[in-house]
Amino acid sequence: MHEKVSRDEYYLSQPKGAHWYPYEDHGGTILAIAGEDFSLVGSDTRLSEGFSIHSRDHPHTYRLSEKTVMGSVGFHGDVLTLKKLLDSRLKIYEHEHNKAMTTSAIAAMLSTMMYGRRFFPFYTNTILAGMDENGKGCVYSFDPIGSYERELFRAGGSASSMLQPLLDNQIGFKNQGDVPHTPLTLEKALALIKDVFISAAERDIYTGDGVCINIITADGVRQERFPLRRD
Amino acid sequence: MSIMSYNGSALVAMIGKDCVAIASDKRFGIQGQTVSMEFPKIFEMGPQLYIGLPGLATDIQTVAQRLTFRVNLYELRENKRIRPKTFMSMVSNLLYERRFGPYFVDPVIAGLEPVTHKPFVASMDLIGCPMVTEDFVVGGTCSEQLYGMCESLWEPNLEPDDLFETISQSILNAVDRDALAGWGAVVYIIEKDKVTTKTLKARMD
Repeated sequence: MHEKVSRDEYYLSQPKGAHWYPYEDHGGTILAIAGEDFSLVGSDTRLSEGFSIHSRDHPHTYRLSEKTVMGSVGFHGDVLTLKKLLDSRLKIYEHEHNKAMTTSAIAAMLSTMMYGRRFFPFYTNTILAGMDENGKGCVYSFDPIGSYERELFRAGGSASSMLQPLLDNQIGFKNQGDVPHTPLTLEKALALIKDVFISAAERDIYTGDGVCINIITADGVRQERFPLRRD
Repeated sequence: MSIMSYNGSALVAMIGKDCVAIASDKRFGIQGQTVSMEFPKIFEMGPQLYIGLPGLATDIQTVAQRLTFRVNLYELRENKRIRPKTFMSMVSNLLYERRFGPYFVDPVIAGLEPVTHKPFVASMDLIGCPMVTEDFVVGGTCSEQLYGMCESLWEPNLEPDDLFETISQSILNAVDRDALAGWGAVVYIIEKDKVTTKTLKARMD
């Protein structure tokens, strides 16, 4: 039986729909830079939801192999699932081919994995960073449904629009006229990452607490951390 | 489709040592279509007082015209130049009068105090909530990009030439990451005895 409502209530009310939404945004910002013989991927360490903080010490970077690190932000459930699936696919590949997957192979595979969920996507902004077959640094950035491209630098996540223009200016030498294009050193790249995260934490409420930078070289992956504003 | 991003704009104002700078892009578009590359968004309201108006193009022009009218009457009645802080309150009042049917602009104000020549910048939302800062203010469709650039590049007590370089790099790199803003940029450097206008060489896409 339908509930008795007044004529106005019936004609002026909105149709009711489903209230459950499968995704949440857990915030966070990631940044990757490729150098001549190194690769950097950094993220803040804050996990948030709305105006609440779930954790102040939860980096958004995940080591996939000796020479590849993934940074991923967005819906944390999908971030973790993507990591889990990638880890198992990597292991299967190692057992079948008796060698570790190259960074470009992981990138191509990740693209197909994400497009496989074209109609119920992984709600994540991911960036892969590592060393390519020639020992040079490489960065691959993805959209939520797997469109990807190799780049020299990319920022992703909630403060990406604040960071990307500065990277264009300082690493891409855009709008700088006749400035000589000096190759990027590891020290300069590290200093740049620290500066941009400090700036991002000033203006973006979802970025803060700390930074975790993964430095990938021929010798493997090492981590550096430093604190950010906690407000 | 948001009303504030229907036409596209970029505005930034910065404080330097005894000077202020204000810069804007020059695009006038209707969603994706660019209609003009010479659409000014910065208006002079006094010898060392400028207002930048990002937002809906028709309201940019209407607010600028109505504000000029009010400032002229003020200067006739009071027989003095309007001070930046007073001007800010005047803009706030004009916008709040339209609280429930607002002008779709987010003004950005830059100027020097008439007697002390102290630098001043301020911004407000479309219903006139004012905000005065000691460093910089931004507005427009690429405000996040501008925040990122300004936060990294700005430092206190920049001389006029250095302030010009800083504000130019901020706006050029920010609009290059926004499809709706760009197509040229103009910068005003306001010092106590002169105002320099420079048009920047920018990507025209």
